[in-house]
Amino acid sequence: MIFGFLLMTAKSYGQQDSYMSVQYSVSFGTGDMGDYISKTSWRGMLIEYRGYVSSKIFVGMDAGWNVFYERKDYDTYTQGTESLSGIQYRYQNQVPLLATLDYLIVTDKALKPYVGLGIGTMYSERSTDMNLYRYELNSWQFALKGEVGLLYEINYSSAVKLAVKYYNGFKTNSLGNQGYVSVNLGMAWSL
Amino acid sequence: MKKKFIFYLSIIILLGSCHPGGIEYYEDTDVVYTNYDDSFDFQSKGVYAIPDKIVKLEGELLEGEEPAFVKEPYNTQMLNQIKSNMTTLGWTTTEDPADADLVMFPAVWTNTTLYYYYDYWCWYYYYYCGGWGWGYPSVSSYTTGTLLMTLVADGDEYIDPTRVWTANINGLLSGAYNSSRVTKSIDQAFTQSPYLKTN
Repeated sequence: MIFGFLLMTAKSYGQQDSYMSVQYSVSFGTGDMGDYISKTSWRGMLIEYRGYVSSKIFVGMDAGWNVFYERKDYDTYTQGTESLSGIQYRYQNQVPLLATLDYLIVTDKALKPYVGLGIGTMYSERSTDMNLYRYELNSWQFALKGEVGLLYEINYSSAVKLAVKYYNGFKTNSLGNQGYVSVNLGMAWSL
Repeated sequence: MKKKFIFYLSIIILLGSCHPGGIEYYEDTDVVYTNYDDSFDFQSKGVYAIPDKIVKLEGELLEGEEPAFVKEPYNTQMLNQIKSNMTTLGWTTTEDPADADLVMFPAVWTNTTLYYYYDYWCWYYYYYCGGWGWGYPSVSSYTTGTLLMTLVADGDEYIDPTRVWTANINGLLSGAYNSSRVTKSIDQAFTQSPYLKTN
């Protein structure tokens, strides 16, 4: 995120076709993450930088933060001869940090559909609160992202950006594959 | 300039809304843990003994000193709830532990934890201890309560009395005794222990 700020400051002048974007994210866990927290995450944000390569291709960086939370009703969890009952509060924070490549399908209209890829890392932090105790699992995971979206130019320097992204953090010793879909809506400003 | 302002403002608003909820009420902290010896054949047994007082653990006892007990009416309320569940599972009581297949030992204790908020630089330079209120140490605390139920076997097949079932009920205590929380948790301990059922 800090790196994103620096990029913006450093490249605020003279690159009219590069842009920064801030987006609000709504996300849904899939696979192991969806099993752990099935509720939709309404807490999320994303900062993007995109640098101009050609009229169709942009490269850049994504820095995001998505907070998943679910209160699990009173239930019993059994392992072997042991059983534990109570309410669980489950939290998962996802922080993807990715290098990106976007390809604009249409360039000569105000509405520009595009597809994108991302590669990098994702920090996953999973916490389970029960009684007064917290059980935590943290991991930095290798991550890939696929994306489809729309850029709608409002004027020469601003656009609305709508994107659907799928993130996948690959299994590590401490945490399995963590995947989620996020729907993002925000503004983009040319630099 | 305006673009940058909107950019930073939107980040601050989005970051500020990222903290989710958590525990709200005392009973949200209630947990019930049970464990048992899966080599023990509960089904073939059916008689248990239980004392008429629940021990309140308060520290080490001196030799010959009697432990503290839970006050009435809470003592009877808890014992009745335990007995009711044992009866539902098919167990009958006996006055003499020597005649019983198992003996139930209930015990309670509380545990208070203190938190200190202390501005540790205060000792070094008096300016930081000054009259804003934040320079002084403050103390907060929380208390948890535990009810432990243990079924002990001491028949011919055991050299020493052996714990074959344990239930540990724990939660954050409020100022007043809440019988429904205790009752519900005792019931839950037996609900999640269906293997206690006798023939």
